[in-house]
Amino acid sequence: MNTNKRPSPSLSLLLAASAALVGHKAHAEETSTAPSIGYRFNVYDEDAFSGAPVIGSDKRYHVDTQQLDFSGNVGERNTLNVDATHEVMSGSSPWYSIPGPNNKPIQVLSGATIRDHRSAISASLMHDAGGNSTTTGSVSYSAERDYHATAIGLEHTIPLNTALTLGFGGSLSHDVIEPTDAEIFDRIRHAQKNTYSAFGSLSWVLNRASVLESGIQLNYQSGYLSDPYKLATVGEAQLPDTRPDRRTEAAWLVRYRLAINDNAALHADSRVAVNSWGQKSVTLDASLYQTLPGDWQIIPGVRYYTQHSARFYAPFFDANDAGSFYSSDYRLGGFGSVAGHLDLRKQFGRWEFTAGMERYHATTRYALGGANAANPGAVSYTRIFAGLDYHFD
Amino acid sequence: MRFEFSTMGCPCALHVEDVGDDVARRALAATLAEVDRLDRKYSHYRDDSLLATLQRSSESIDVDDETANLFDFAAELNRQSDGLFDITAGKLTRLWDGRKPAQKEIDAALRVTGWHRIEWNRPTLHVTTRNMHLDFGGLVKEYAADRCAELCREVGVQSGVVDLGGDLALIGPHANGEAWIVGIKAPRAEGKAAASIALPRGGLATSGDYERALIIDGKRYSHIVDPRSGWPIEGFASVSVVADSCLVAGSASTLAMLLGIERGGAWLRELGLPHLCIDGEGRISGDIKI
Repeated sequence: MNTNKRPSPSLSLLLAASAALVGHKAHAEETSTAPSIGYRFNVYDEDAFSGAPVIGSDKRYHVDTQQLDFSGNVGERNTLNVDATHEVMSGSSPWYSIPGPNNKPIQVLSGATIRDHRSAISASLMHDAGGNSTTTGSVSYSAERDYHATAIGLEHTIPLNTALTLGFGGSLSHDVIEPTDAEIFDRIRHAQKNTYSAFGSLSWVLNRASVLESGIQLNYQSGYLSDPYKLATVGEAQLPDTRPDRRTEAAWLVRYRLAINDNAALHADSRVAVNSWGQKSVTLDASLYQTLPGDWQIIPGVRYYTQHSARFYAPFFDANDAGSFYSSDYRLGGFGSVAGHLDLRKQFGRWEFTAGMERYHATTRYALGGANAANPGAVSYTRIFAGLDYHFD
Repeated sequence: MRFEFSTMGCPCALHVEDVGDDVARRALAATLAEVDRLDRKYSHYRDDSLLATLQRSSESIDVDDETANLFDFAAELNRQSDGLFDITAGKLTRLWDGRKPAQKEIDAALRVTGWHRIEWNRPTLHVTTRNMHLDFGGLVKEYAADRCAELCREVGVQSGVVDLGGDLALIGPHANGEAWIVGIKAPRAEGKAAASIALPRGGLATSGDYERALIIDGKRYSHIVDPRSGWPIEGFASVSVVADSCLVAGSASTLAMLLGIERGGAWLRELGLPHLCIDGEGRISGDIKI
């Protein structure tokens, strides 16, 4: 039997209901994963600036990512996933903005083209305790010339009855920042930040065709949360991006899965988040998983995102009005975005080929209720990827 | 080594290999004791079974964990089949055992059939209708096969198969790691296999009208009865399913039989479990390669 596929809602229900009777062994076998190895190549390319005036190269970020992953069993009830990633980043990024004619912002981009590498490795081990109860531990490490991040996580799922599953967990990450050219640009030499996350979720199997999951996630960050490579124009001066050293975020997630028929399933997700910096965001995501004859699968999808800016965001600041914190980082500004993607999968025996494309466009015009300030750095990008997996069993 | 025995009204066998006589006989003893225990506890043909006690009682009764798990599982199957899989339909099943009943008998049996006529709040069961017959058919034999396989593993058998009337639970693959090649019973051709498949793990179960079917004036009546109409179902001649337990395989095959050719076939495809269906004309469908 093909254990690579996620069990259908009906089968999940049968397995959950039978787990108490046939014991752990049979269930562990059902949820075990056949060993597989996969390779992905991903190209992320931001659009050049157009429309808003810019100073510096208008060529924005480009990232080529290669990813190798392995999944297999360790003993009867443990599934190990290991994922290695290497990225090459290049291009210019928004540095700061200055007031132009009619007080419209002019975006200044980093003068030199950045070219950097990032390597990351992550591993997770899922233990199936039987009866649909699983515990997953994870570790990850990511290294760039100027940035090192280490994270650990633990999560647990436990069925409350045949239709309801409780999930909860937490994670910690510790990041170390040592900016390049710190002396030349008077950047901070060494900084750290920590992120603590906790989540809880309930998953309901509504009927044999649909599953609803709802969860709450709390994130707390402390330490150096500013971006050492960004400046903000305050009056006549360009000062280092300065943000509070703490941020608390609460997010509510809802996921819905509907098996429309034998060959089609709808995945609909939403996320609503607020944080102590005054940002509010909503994400709506829907994808259709359509199986076609000949072991093809096509997955079209759309995503909408809207964000209200942080309290201390502006494209530039009046020297008299600026508070203790100021940032012109476009990621903290108000904007909305629309993305569409199309993925294709094809199975050839033990091989599975995947390819896809995503087009993302962000602008203040798409922000729900309108953005309260200009956001000249809002990004649009195209992402394409291709991958190949081999399943050993 | 192969041991043959009979239980729950069907021929059974225990195949074990790569063990000494002592371990093999302990495995056989454990298997015989377990099927006997479950038959005594859940047979709907015995007046002294737990089921008989439950259905006779006008009071609420707290049941043990194993029975509660079976009721939970039966409740889930009832929900997934929109009421077609119904352990309260024992009276109807008995009615069709060896004869074609009169419609008024069917009507009377329908009046004591229906999940709404029991109150199940784990671990408490209350049968609210007198003369109801609870029937764990489609569950207990398959559950017994899984239990026996587990007990055989506990006494040290690593390679073998438990066969309870064609419902199979794997103890473990052959000693060299290869899968057991097992036969799927052919409907309406006693002793013949419709297909042979490799069973690397888990279980294989077959539901069909090849056993205990009633033939009157040339028409076959299945022993599987639709609890809504009170009449035997018409559809597949047999459905075989492979799953990681015989219990899940058996419940999936029984539900597919009850749902009929169109809905049953679609439901099996949705489950994603390997299956083989044979209709009354001998046409074969499903994704088990034969």
